Amino acid sequence: MTALQSPPASVVVRGAPVRAQRPTARGLGRPRRSRLRYALIVLAFLLPSAVPLTLFTLVPMGAAFWVSLHEWNLIGPMKWVGLDNYVSLAGDPDTRRAFGNTVYYIVGYLPLVYIGGLAIALALNSRMPARAFLRGIYFLPVVTSWIVVALVWRWLLNPEYGVVNYALGLVGIDGPGWWTDPAWAMPSIILASAWKDLGFVMVILLAGLQAIPRDLYEAATVDGAGWWRRLFSITLPMLSPSTFFVIVISLINGFQVFDQVYAMTGGGPAGSSQVVVQQVYDLTFRYGRAGEASALSWMLFVVVLAITIVQLRGQKKWVNYA
Amino acid sequence: MRKPAVLTLTIVVAVGAVAMFFPFLWTLVTSVSSGAGLSATPQLIPADPSLDAYGELFDNTPFLQVVLNSLGLAVATTLAQLTTSALAAYAFSRLPFRGSNLVFGIYLATMMIPIQVLIVPLFVEIKTLGLLNTHLGVLLPGIASAFGVFLLRQAMSAVPRELDEAATIDGAGHFRIFGTIVLPLIGPALATLTVFAFMSSWNSFLWPLIVLRTPELQTLPIALAGLQGQYTTEWDVLMAGSVISVLPMVAIYVFAQRFVIQGVANTGIK
Amino acid sequence: MFRSTHLTAAAAAAAVIALALAGCSSGDSGNASDGPVTITYSNFISNGGNEENLETIVSAFEAENPDVTVEVTTLPYADYFTTLQTDLAAGTQADVFDIEYANFGTYVKDGVIAPLEGVDTSVYRESLAEAYASDGTQYALPSSFSDVVLFYNSDLFDKAGLDYPTSDWTWADEKAAAAKLTDQAAGVWGDYQPITFYEYYKAVAQAGGDFLSADGTATAFDSPEGIAAAEWLVGKSGTVMPTTEQGAGTPDYDSGLFLEGKLAMWHSGIWMFGAMADAPFTWDIAVEPGDTEKASALFSNAVAVSATSAQKEAAQDFAEFLTSSKTMVETRLDAGWELPPVADDSLLTSYLDKGAPANRQAVFDSLEAVALPPIAATGQTEMQDIVTEELSEAAAGRKTVEEAVSSAAQRVDAVIG
Repeated sequence: MTALQSPPASVVVRGAPVRAQRPTARGLGRPRRSRLRYALIVLAFLLPSAVPLTLFTLVPMGAAFWVSLHEWNLIGPMKWVGLDNYVSLAGDPDTRRAFGNTVYYIVGYLPLVYIGGLAIALALNSRMPARAFLRGIYFLPVVTSWIVVALVWRWLLNPEYGVVNYALGLVGIDGPGWWTDPAWAMPSIILASAWKDLGFVMVILLAGLQAIPRDLYEAATVDGAGWWRRLFSITLPMLSPSTFFVIVISLINGFQVFDQVYAMTGGGPAGSSQVVVQQVYDLTFRYGRAGEASALSWMLFVVVLAITIVQLRGQKKWVNYA
Repeated sequence: MRKPAVLTLTIVVAVGAVAMFFPFLWTLVTSVSSGAGLSATPQLIPADPSLDAYGELFDNTPFLQVVLNSLGLAVATTLAQLTTSALAAYAFSRLPFRGSNLVFGIYLATMMIPIQVLIVPLFVEIKTLGLLNTHLGVLLPGIASAFGVFLLRQAMSAVPRELDEAATIDGAGHFRIFGTIVLPLIGPALATLTVFAFMSSWNSFLWPLIVLRTPELQTLPIALAGLQGQYTTEWDVLMAGSVISVLPMVAIYVFAQRFVIQGVANTGIK
Repeated sequence: MFRSTHLTAAAAAAAVIALALAGCSSGDSGNASDGPVTITYSNFISNGGNEENLETIVSAFEAENPDVTVEVTTLPYADYFTTLQTDLAAGTQADVFDIEYANFGTYVKDGVIAPLEGVDTSVYRESLAEAYASDGTQYALPSSFSDVVLFYNSDLFDKAGLDYPTSDWTWADEKAAAAKLTDQAAGVWGDYQPITFYEYYKAVAQAGGDFLSADGTATAFDSPEGIAAAEWLVGKSGTVMPTTEQGAGTPDYDSGLFLEGKLAMWHSGIWMFGAMADAPFTWDIAVEPGDTEKASALFSNAVAVSATSAQKEAAQDFAEFLTSSKTMVETRLDAGWELPPVADDSLLTSYLDKGAPANRQAVFDSLEAVALPPIAATGQTEMQDIVTEELSEAAAGRKTVEEAVSSAAQRVDAVIG
């Protein structure tokens, strides 16, 4: 039970690739009946989720692809246009702006929310008074609706009488126009989103932290490792599966950022915070251009899929599975 | 940790908590400020404190009915997602098969397309199944979750394989290893998924709105949205609805936390 | 006409598997023969407070037509059209459903609403009935109307020693009064008019210009009149009207400001009367000032019968009852729910004595010169979004008014042409 003993901290890190080796498939090379049995077991575990996901997501995705090859306002007949929707979107500056803004959002949001969420998870994983209560408080923004959160942040970041600019003014900084200024609209959204999602990252990472065996720390402390040393040699490596999860999910969700943009700026001013999914929403339900909306969604899908594949491939280098 | 460090940390965390709590406080205060408009500046002392807004929720919506509908759907969704996700996660983490990575990739891919373009095809599908205006029609698309599978797969990957190898030697099959060894060890992740699955169903708006037409079948968020007029917003009612929506989820999270801590304490990992 | 054949085919495979799950819950499609029938009505007009008033009208209809049952579904305005679009795509729309003027043309063109035969249109206000006819055929019936007027706080006018607005006022009068009434130090603003498409097309008409070409395929507002109209709106921002930074555009900001007694003049719809009823000061309304011409915004809701309804006859009966019956007129007037679209003004006299504002006659006087929203050949919503966005840019000072108007015209032309 190597993982449960306490190897020198460095081994935990470098040992990751070694332990990533998986036991070979039990069924392979066995007699046919046994292989069939194994296949049935795999199916029994997979089908309860595979069937609904196929029916209620993959089939609609296929239908959306079919729609993307048409001109369709949802009401009248569909008109076949082949790849025209893709071609026209690819050449449309609005598409480039939407993708650019979306990437901008992710680049700003992800580090903030991960580092912030990690800090809170670490803090709330240590012993302190009223810990369960405090965790509940930090979780509150996650469950509060964006309508309310957007109102609050529009007020906090109000250029004229918001708290943030008031505080900046106290230290002699002339605060920016935040969501009323095209250059600052996206940073405003990033700030509000990171604040709201801190609790989400905290919850995931706390679950990961709680699963780390205590004796690893005890042994390391006996070995004289300080707080930072324990963080980098035990906590972060043992937390890497959760971190991997947070990053993959945040990227997938980040590319589909919509609610906060819709509630805070509506994509403005002058489209400066327009993102891909807002475009998709407008095209589908407001502009009656469902074909283009589907094409745009599939373009987004390909981008996110590519990024996720790269992450899945790269995980062996740093994710420490038992 | 040293005592002063704990104190400093607690103070920092508590100050942060005030910042996190503030919007909710505003929500709470607005909900008991009767007939108040929403001023540009939050007021933290209710202008004219009253519980009228909550009364309006009870009077103008079949409140008990919609809460029961929402609760039923959320519980069913949560149980379904926990089951389907845990099973699949076990397959991806413990049952190597050819194409496993590809299948897992396809699972993840189901999260990558905006829901906005899936709604119309999904609606047509539910109609074809004859499930329009039924709770089953609302529930079915949410019984499996790639998010849940991924979350639990990561948690299972952190469970030492030596434990199941030992069980295999004792003659345990996969279903027994799944039920008696792996599941008890991923308590924190199961609790996390419980919270998120419940939340996704409890807050779900667009899909139930489109599928359900009979008032008796409607869910809480739809009933709350129905209280808003085309031109004016009754902020106290909106905020009262928000309070009522938020509290059960926080309660579940705090409750789940308790369960988690016990879960870890009982696993025998010391 | 089976519009979503492809999607249905894609879903059919799924259907086979899931039928087992579903059991055999077949839909109860109505029977076209005589005997009891059930029709469905999907609406947003009663949402947010008028559900019981709608119920009164429906019950009266059912009492008169014992064979017909009406099942009502009420949706919030904000989500109604998403739901309707989805329903139309899937062919599951109600027998009778609410529509808006801006989408009327699309529905007619795509054949989703049934022509209504044998309707006595003389009972409706002529301009309203005409708005929902196409090539001489009636396709929908107006269910209510409302218009936009100038609200004013009489107390603030008294304090400033100014005369109240009258129907003779022009932009110049409003501008002069607004400047005198604005007292930024006290947080009091002279005027408020949203800088949006809906205010702009009207202002263009007030300035004597055209918004679109006659066939709706090109813009006409990049003209001296169009620029004057944009300047009229944009020039208010930051001088007599709060800027976006100061709160303009935040939900309910304007109504809140007026209710607090910190707004002297306010361009808003008569649907706000109810919300202002308890204002702790005297207020009244006047016909909106014009520039070279008078032009007031007229909005209407309407109901249509689905082209695929199996109960078109009963559906049309209900639509007519809902839009022209005596019960409807009385219920709407009693409840202060938007105005009945009837031609006979004598039916509306009780409206004039329903309390504040005193000058309710202005609601009807406004109808003497109305500006209907311009309808583009295609891309209506995009056109509206672009115009609002460009005007906001000018209001924020990032573009000159001329630049914004010309850029809006170019962008809109690219979309609607």
